[in-house]
Amino acid sequence: MKFKHSLKTAYRGLEQNRARSFLTILGIVIGVTAIILVMSLGQGAQALILDQVKGMGTRTIIVGGGREPKGPSDAGQIFNDSLKKRDLELLERRENTPSVKYVMPLIFGAAGASYQSDTYNLTIFGASPLMEKIFDMPFRSGGMFTDEDIRARAKYVIIGNKVKTQLFGADDAIGQVIKMKGYNFRVIGVLTEQGQSAFNFDEAAIIPYTTAQDYVLGIKYFNRFVIEAVSDELVPSASEEVSLTLRESHNITDPTKDDFFVITQVSLANSLSSITSVLTIFLAAVAAISLIVGGIGIMNIMLVSVTERTKEIGLRKALGATYKNILTQFLLEAVMLTGLGGIIGILLGAFFSWAIATGITQFTSIAWTFSFPVSAAILGLGVSGAIGLIFGLYPARTAAHKSPIDALRYE
Amino acid sequence: MPLIEIKNLTKVYVNDEVETPVLHGVSFSINRGEFVAIMGPSGSGKSTLLHVLGFLDGYTDGSYLFEDKEASTYEGDAMAHIRNKKLGFIFQSFNLLAHASVFENVKLPLFYSDIPESEWSKLVTDAIEAVGLTHRTDFDVTRLSGGEKQRVAIARALVCSPEVIFADEPTGNLDSKSGGGVMQTLQDLNEKHGHTIILITHETYTAEHARRIIRIKDGLVESDTEVSERRHTNGGILIK
Repeated sequence: MKFKHSLKTAYRGLEQNRARSFLTILGIVIGVTAIILVMSLGQGAQALILDQVKGMGTRTIIVGGGREPKGPSDAGQIFNDSLKKRDLELLERRENTPSVKYVMPLIFGAAGASYQSDTYNLTIFGASPLMEKIFDMPFRSGGMFTDEDIRARAKYVIIGNKVKTQLFGADDAIGQVIKMKGYNFRVIGVLTEQGQSAFNFDEAAIIPYTTAQDYVLGIKYFNRFVIEAVSDELVPSASEEVSLTLRESHNITDPTKDDFFVITQVSLANSLSSITSVLTIFLAAVAAISLIVGGIGIMNIMLVSVTERTKEIGLRKALGATYKNILTQFLLEAVMLTGLGGIIGILLGAFFSWAIATGITQFTSIAWTFSFPVSAAILGLGVSGAIGLIFGLYPARTAAHKSPIDALRYE
Repeated sequence: MPLIEIKNLTKVYVNDEVETPVLHGVSFSINRGEFVAIMGPSGSGKSTLLHVLGFLDGYTDGSYLFEDKEASTYEGDAMAHIRNKKLGFIFQSFNLLAHASVFENVKLPLFYSDIPESEWSKLVTDAIEAVGLTHRTDFDVTRLSGGEKQRVAIARALVCSPEVIFADEPTGNLDSKSGGGVMQTLQDLNEKHGHTIILITHETYTAEHARRIIRIKDGLVESDTEVSERRHTNGGILIK
């Protein structure tokens, strides 16, 4: 029997019980929909995170005080005061860090900023003029403060786009004075809108780090050093030089006892990717359970169908159908059912993830991109087909094993 | 050389270690072109004999030569191929595929044959014509009368040009008029086209359409006689 005739025969078998066929594949449809949805959202989340990490710049190295947070219990370690002015001076020395181009100290904290009667809660970044170069910050108007302003602890501020809109509306902000932590700051620059990135500058106020340490936040340490390597290739050696310099400065001999952590864009992207991948796989695995449940449903219905069609099987055998012919017919019925379920599931999954992506971009400021996981679609179709084969095999064998006489006699 | 030759054929059903002998040593031979009726009361073993002759079931002992070849040498798929190529079956309850047309039903055995697909359409049309149902070709079989349904089954049995047609109580579910029509069709196939037909029945007036009647009783051949005056059906009236 030719394959196309087997296909036709299997299709006719399913067609005669349309409602039942549809209900049977629902389990597979739901399972595949869930897998596609989870994988698509996982990919979207990963793309979003990686996009933000890329905003860091490929040559950027971030050094933080305390141990690198590896889990919720390490959260407290983020606020560690191990990075001091002496470290900054050591890192800035060429002989210590030949692969490093810029070293910028960074401190941050929350504050309310007010202008006339308006107040806005923002993040204060204490930085150096290098910030403009490292983060490639586009100014809408005005410009960056200078090294002289750092030494003078000048009360100058550069504000993000959202801060400007909230406090000044359409008015020009340059030259105006805003109040933060009781001090007056003159606005010397306004940034253009940046959207989501590694640091959210839209809702930030950037001031000289000396001013931030002494007046605003009242601390003597730095939260981060933001370092730029000379080139992409020198990022690994730069981070090594930074680690060695800091260990020497902090008298640390055992690298496992570092009181600082060094993150490069690559290491950050890798660890975030692996976290989202593991989460996605875990969720997809949970969704896959429904596929197995769907498969059992298919097996159940196929067994009913085989029993119902016992006489037909006997007739086909009497007319010359071989074991293989009958096996193929019923296996194909099962695979067609699950395959169709898989296709519907892929379409539904793609539609829902597109709808969610559209919803997120419409109603939030997150730049979520819809991505259709082709690999998941192929996997979903493959797995649903395989489920048809696996769960269809037993009913199909039952059918093929029927003796023509017993089957013909069956009432 | 006879088409079918059985010698001392026995069949014992074994179920849960309980042995039920059905055929106790049946011997006869059937030549090409014969129309033989196998008769017997219920439980006589005539259906079992048909199953064995029709390669639907094996036998326990004795010999069954089909075209001079021992039937027990065929197994599994080989039996299926013999059924498809050499044998045609007509059942009491028609056994048609519901919700399929006359054409589709008659075509069914061709799916399992090695006849090229290009010839299928003509073979099906010819078989339908041979049973006089050309005007019903595209009808769904559920719309046909009982007699017509059985004639579709006859066409289906014919379509692969078998060596022998087995008819198992073909008039059992029909009224006498339709039954007579079906028997006339079989008789025509035998007389005009030379088809070998083996008919299983418990009704004497149906058996008398054949040329020869083999009576089975308790698993043994009771008698094997030529029919001196064959029954013919004409316009639904039986004339002896």
